[in-house]
Amino acid sequence: MSLLGADFRRDLEIRRYPLLIYVLVPLTALVLQAWLPRVAGSFDWFDLPFVITVYFALGWRSPIQGTLMGAAMGLFEDALSHHAIGVNGIAKTVVGFLAASVGVRIDVENHIARLVLNFLLSLLSSAICIFIYRVLLGLDFTWHWLTELFLAIGNSALAAVLFPLLDRLQVRD
Amino acid sequence: MESFFVRYRNIVVLLAILVAQIVGLAVQVRRTDSGRNVLDPGDGPGVRLIRLWANALVSPPERLIHSSTSGVADLWRNYLDLRHVREQNQQLQGTIDRLRLEQAELLEDARQGERLQALLGFQEKYIYKTLPAQAIGSSGSDQSRVFYIDKGSADGLERDMPVITADGIVGKVRDVFPHTAQVLAINDQTSGAGVILAATRIRGILRGNASGQLEVVDITADERIKPGEKVLTAGGDMVFPRGLPVGVVEKVVPDPDQDSFIDVIVKPAAHLNRLDEVLVITSTEPRFPPQEQHDLTTSEALDGAQAAAIEEQQKAAQITAERLPGLTEPNVPPDQQPLNDSTPPNPMAQPPQPLHPDRFSPAATTDQEGGQPAQADRPHPAGQSPDAQAQPGQQRPPRRNP
Repeated sequence: MSLLGADFRRDLEIRRYPLLIYVLVPLTALVLQAWLPRVAGSFDWFDLPFVITVYFALGWRSPIQGTLMGAAMGLFEDALSHHAIGVNGIAKTVVGFLAASVGVRIDVENHIARLVLNFLLSLLSSAICIFIYRVLLGLDFTWHWLTELFLAIGNSALAAVLFPLLDRLQVRD
Repeated sequence: MESFFVRYRNIVVLLAILVAQIVGLAVQVRRTDSGRNVLDPGDGPGVRLIRLWANALVSPPERLIHSSTSGVADLWRNYLDLRHVREQNQQLQGTIDRLRLEQAELLEDARQGERLQALLGFQEKYIYKTLPAQAIGSSGSDQSRVFYIDKGSADGLERDMPVITADGIVGKVRDVFPHTAQVLAINDQTSGAGVILAATRIRGILRGNASGQLEVVDITADERIKPGEKVLTAGGDMVFPRGLPVGVVEKVVPDPDQDSFIDVIVKPAAHLNRLDEVLVITSTEPRFPPQEQHDLTTSEALDGAQAAAIEEQQKAAQITAERLPGLTEPNVPPDQQPLNDSTPPNPMAQPPQPLHPDRFSPAATTDQEGGQPAQADRPHPAGQSPDAQAQPGQQRPPRRNP
């Protein structure tokens, strides 16, 4: 199967899920993201809302829906932190838009393509956050590239497990 | 115009959402007098509303998960705790008695400190009231080291209340909701606490770094600071009471931004990554809390009883010593009593007999001087040399050359 095939991708139907899934999965991701780091301790190198945003944006193949999904998840994460509301919001808005835009052009059934996309978008999300903190807001904010790399790897690993599970939830005609 | 929006609607929606968020960010940042940009510590009404909604949505499931997981864990833990509980109870009782005695010993120092503080017009604040709370969730981001506890404004919590565990300080209450509160951990980059190094008495500001480590910053290089030194709260930050444990010095590294300054990396006393139950200090007063007063009174009484018991024991020992025959001589002065005799009880052992005594042997000389025959022909037990007859522990005399 060709990885890049715009005409082929357009022939495929857009993924659809039961309405409850659209509510429950993002909410569960947000709750678990807030709860799991307490269990994981220092090894909290994952961002469940990010992975869910990428998954739905890829499946929907609608940049507007991907943008809105990313904005909602990011703002929600910001609201739970003590940082300014909008940093994660902007990063995940861009991620949702790009994932949906790329989803039109690549084969989203290909696991390797999805994992690579997850990894790259995670790095991009981190880069946007750092840019906002240090350049846009001019805040005194230190970061470590290794942490962001581990986060990207963790997100890819999480996607490798979650994406096949979520694929089973879609409505098939 | 309509076709433009239809044609570029994806980009238009993206830009509209991005611009809205950027404007929202701009109103949350303010510039200080020193020209630095900082986040507004007090959230505006709109921001606070968003945080409230997010909290209201996430907190109930978090409480549910926490209570169910802790319920199962408690069942198992309770079963395990029941084993050896009697022995542990006895050990704990002994520890309490010992600590009470130690407390009584320290009581005088504390009272003297209070008197001196009163003379200097300085009032020490003691932890007067605490509220236990459970940590139920976190921000989910390692860039924001905050966590949520299951007590809020309905339980009397307010902003900037210190949060501690039995091991050491943890953070301070940053935001309060009706039934939950957000706690800013001390290892966050935006946190700050006044600390003092216990041995060297060097003061500094404690904060977190990007890796979540604690570091004391803005300290001039000092060779006296060594790993293992205790770090305590200094009490000058108007949040944490003085003298609470913070951690121990892990290592000292040069400050990358300022020459001749160092950063002291501190290993936290509290397990910041695995917090479960915490205590929120809801009130500090310049006096001991009632429970502590009660403990002090008990310790004082126990200390008095202990002193009386020791005196009784000494009297009993005296009477017993007087009654024992042979240990006291009625006709001998007290300083010459056998009980006070400090001479070694075992007399010096005789040196072993030489194998071939001659005229230089001490015994032979003595015998010759005394007109007695030498003991050269004295028979030895079969299979034993005279050396072997020496008593254990006796030192063998140096062999003489003929």
